[in-house]
Amino acid sequence: MGTLRFAHPTFCTLLGLLGLVASALAQTAPPPAPPRQHISIGYVEIEGDPRYEPVRAYERLILKTRDHPFAGAQIGIDEAAALVRVLNTEFALERITVKSSAEVASAVVQALEGRDIHFFLIDAPAEAFKPLAASTKGRDTLLFNVSASDDGLRREVCAREFVHVIPSLAMRMDALMQYLTSRKWRDILVFEGPLPADAETVKAFTRSAQKFGAKIVANQRFKAGTDPREREQNNPALLSAIRGNYDVVFVADEAFDFVRQVPYHTVLPRPVVGSIDLEPVAWHWTWEHNGAPQVNSRFDKKSGGRRMDSADWAAWIAVKMVVQATLRTRSADFAKQRDFILGDTGFDGDKGLPVSVRPWDHQVRQAVLLAAPYMVVASAPVEGFLHRINELDTLGDDEPETSCHLNK
Amino acid sequence: MPILRLLLALLCITIFAAALSSAGMAKDTGLVFVSNEKTNNLIVIDPKANKVVKDLKTSRRPRDMHFSSDHTKLYVACGDDDVIDIIDVAKLEVVGKLSTGSSPETFGIDETRRRIYVSNEEGSSLSVIDMDQNIIVQEVPTGAEPEGVFVSEDGHFVYVTSEVGDLIHLIDAESGNVMQDVVVGTRPRRFAATPDHKELWVSAELSGEVYIIDREKFTVESKIEFLPPGMRKTDVTPVDLRITRDGKTAYVTLGHAAHVAVVDVPTRKIQGYILVGKRSWGLGMSRDEKTLYVANGFGDDITVIDLRTRKATVSIPVGRIPWGVVIDD
Repeated sequence: MGTLRFAHPTFCTLLGLLGLVASALAQTAPPPAPPRQHISIGYVEIEGDPRYEPVRAYERLILKTRDHPFAGAQIGIDEAAALVRVLNTEFALERITVKSSAEVASAVVQALEGRDIHFFLIDAPAEAFKPLAASTKGRDTLLFNVSASDDGLRREVCAREFVHVIPSLAMRMDALMQYLTSRKWRDILVFEGPLPADAETVKAFTRSAQKFGAKIVANQRFKAGTDPREREQNNPALLSAIRGNYDVVFVADEAFDFVRQVPYHTVLPRPVVGSIDLEPVAWHWTWEHNGAPQVNSRFDKKSGGRRMDSADWAAWIAVKMVVQATLRTRSADFAKQRDFILGDTGFDGDKGLPVSVRPWDHQVRQAVLLAAPYMVVASAPVEGFLHRINELDTLGDDEPETSCHLNK
Repeated sequence: MPILRLLLALLCITIFAAALSSAGMAKDTGLVFVSNEKTNNLIVIDPKANKVVKDLKTSRRPRDMHFSSDHTKLYVACGDDDVIDIIDVAKLEVVGKLSTGSSPETFGIDETRRRIYVSNEEGSSLSVIDMDQNIIVQEVPTGAEPEGVFVSEDGHFVYVTSEVGDLIHLIDAESGNVMQDVVVGTRPRRFAATPDHKELWVSAELSGEVYIIDREKFTVESKIEFLPPGMRKTDVTPVDLRITRDGKTAYVTLGHAAHVAVVDVPTRKIQGYILVGKRSWGLGMSRDEKTLYVANGFGDDITVIDLRTRKATVSIPVGRIPWGVVIDD
């Protein structure tokens, strides 16, 4: 019965007309595909940043080449390419190069206000961060610190717009100390260099020694050179000829100069750690667990053969956090993305335990690798160092110890 | 006369047995094959005696292994030489190689179409290999670090995980186009399909879950989280999984948590955990579903589990970083 109705001429005409109208509509106005979103991530760096100058023995002998961690950020962007289909969102980096630390804050504000960029990787030394905190306070931005490990940024500066991706000095020293005490190398001879950074390092190391029950048996100030009148300060054998025993020699030498002579020159045959031989780092090119070989290999290709280091890792995971925030919230809304990044979620940093942001000082909690030149000797938290909530918080400033309470 | 009859009967049996063994060649040897990433070999174990019977050299970094349907050949993806080794199961030696893309990890075989689908961990692609011509006929771009590969029973679709992209790609096998993607947990690794073809189970290593995908709708239907007693959530890193033929029970290796989880498939309830070795990854199950073999990546051994009692019975040292286990039965 019902089928007869369809045979009715008027109805058929009507239907035909409707069809025509529909097809005409379809031709003129195809169902609009949702416009593709673009999320730009700013990458702010300083031209001629001395931290990236090669470390030389003398003019033509380069000991270490160093570079801005831009390639780390780039592999993060490359990895997001597969998500374009799912998210209908493209990610891009905007590289912003300024002339000095003093220009970092204004460059960020300009990009935030003028070009609607909310996420920035800040590749600058500590001095750039205080003015940056002042000029971005309360604004819709997250600034990922990828290369400044100074503890002061996490303590006194303490700004909620920052996410400190690179491990703090305190975290690195705690990691090293965990390893030393796990080996029962608790009596430590310290060699301290002349730079302010060396003093900061020894300060953090001393604090770690107190925390984990090690003892600094002597702190010797060294001065690089060959002057025989200063041999008490420039000769590793004399410096290490102290009354009493020690298990290990810790050297703080930011300049990477004197420290080269320390291994094999101490009076007692003892391992050397700190600025050489066993270094606590965020990343190492020989790390071979948790999918690290694939990341190292992608980085190698992207950077034209450079070995991925700690700042590269930080830049990579920072980009990954933004991408994950977009993926998991299915949103390009900054507030939602920020809440996701600062929330409880763990990110896959290819270092075992998931990395996440500490709510009190916005430091990224993460494993720290103890790297020898050709091998990662151990990963901290070292087995046996326990924490009531998250073992990663055995490294660096835990909530009860910190002076920065962004969550309160 | 009775003696003659007996002799005749014996003769018949002998001939029959001989015929069987020659026709079947290497069939049902029961041998267990374990691939070792770091020592570039397969260790072959006689499961009756739990003894190593052969140390079979392969190309570098052997990982995923699959038998041909008649079990005369074993295919082994070798990540550091960009090849799939072909092993003669009767002779226990490498008799050929297929070229793949960069760093092949896991693969699926469609013997009807004579295709191998292999994920190239470093190349971010799925290579489609013509098994007879030994050529790559297509490269399908995937998310970074593709890993698990599952070819649908009818050969029409290939499912691939992207470890870095947290995605499952649904690929049309004919055209090589990615038709759809579905987002799952962090670092998706391997697949197991339910025997009714309705669900695809995917392990998510870093989020410590198994995602269950409705194959018809290609959406996440539910997920299972694991936590063996006394373990921390962060230790739970599921990798390999198997579902029994009756579709009732699933076994999931939990990586650093050093346990295998036993799941009741219809209710998704975890029935228990079986203690195994360090970083348990690859799984192999005997055809009678009575024995489970677990490759312990950080223990350089395999754990043998009696599935009737759900207890580990013995562990057998193999090579360095054992990756996977297959059984010729």
